[in-house]
Amino acid sequence: MPDALTSLIQALAAPYWPPVLVGLFIGLLAFGQRWATDEPLSCSTGFARIAQFADRPREDDWRLVFLLGIVLGGALAGLTDGAPAWEGTAEEFGAFYTALVPDTTLGSAAWWLAGGLLIGLGARLAGGCTSGHTIAGVAMGAPASLTASAVFFGVAVATAQLAAWLLGV
Amino acid sequence: MTAMLTTRNGLFLIFGTGFGFLLSRAGATSPDLIAGLLLFDDLRLLWVIATAVAMGALLSWLAWRFGWQARGKGAPISLKRKPFKRGLVIGAVLFGIGWAVTGVCPGTALAMLGEGKWFAAWVGAGIVAGAGLGSRLNRRLGGTSE
Repeated sequence: MPDALTSLIQALAAPYWPPVLVGLFIGLLAFGQRWATDEPLSCSTGFARIAQFADRPREDDWRLVFLLGIVLGGALAGLTDGAPAWEGTAEEFGAFYTALVPDTTLGSAAWWLAGGLLIGLGARLAGGCTSGHTIAGVAMGAPASLTASAVFFGVAVATAQLAAWLLGV
Repeated sequence: MTAMLTTRNGLFLIFGTGFGFLLSRAGATSPDLIAGLLLFDDLRLLWVIATAVAMGALLSWLAWRFGWQARGKGAPISLKRKPFKRGLVIGAVLFGIGWAVTGVCPGTALAMLGEGKWFAAWVGAGIVAGAGLGSRLNRRLGGTSE
C-alpha cells in the first residue's frame, strides 16, 4: 500500500496529472457548480461582459468573478508544479506553433490578437465555447452543444492538419 | 464593489480557481499539447475531455432522474440547455479556426495568464474584442446578447 500511495503522491506532484483523473475532477467540479449555484460552466459570455464593462448587466457579475478565479487557479498551478517559469521558447510552443506563428514580435502579437478575435466572435455567435458547449452542454445532452462541439473539433482538426501539411511539420 | 462580496460570488471564485488549476494540470494550457490533440500526435487532452464529459453526463443524468435539489433553492438543479441559435454553425467554424491557429480557448487563455504565459494576454485581448463584437451581432440577429 505505501507504494501505491507514494506513486499517487508522485503523480499529483507532477505538472500534468493523469488525464482520466483530471477529467473526472473537471466533470465533478462542473457539476458541483451546477449544484451549488445552479449555473453551468461558462467562460466566453464573461468575455463579452468585459467588453461591455460600463453597461454590463450587473446580475451577470458572477461571470467576471469566475473568470478572475481561473486566472488565480492558473497562477496557483504554475507556482506549485515545480517546473521552471514559462519563457516562450520554441521548445515550449512545440514544433507546430513555432512554425505557424510569425517569429517577429509585432507579427506574433498581431497573429495572436487576430486569432483571439476569431475565438471571441465565434464563441458569441455559437453561444458558447469549449467550456459552455463542450464540457457543460454536451454533458447535459443539449443538441445545440453537440452540434457546436462537433464543428469546433472538426474545423480545428482540419485547420491544424492542413496548416501542418502546408508547413511540412 | 461591496455588492460583489456575496457567498454566491465566493463560490464562483472557488469554482473558477479550481477550474483554472485543473485546466493547467490537464495540460490544456500547453499549446504543444493542443497541437498534439488536433494533429493526433498526443491524445491526452482527448482523454481529459472525454472523461470530463462522461462524468458530467452521468451526474447530470442522475440529477435529472432523481430530481436532485440545487443548494438552497428548494428546486431541482435546472437543466440549462443552450438553444440552437442563428449563427451557431458559422460561429463554431470561426471558433475552430481561432482555436487551431493559437492553441488557446477562452478558459485556457485566463489560466495561461495566471501561469505567466504572457502571449495569452494578446489572445485574451482579441477574445474580449471579438466577444464584444459577437454580442452586438447577436442582438442584430435575434434580439439577445447571449
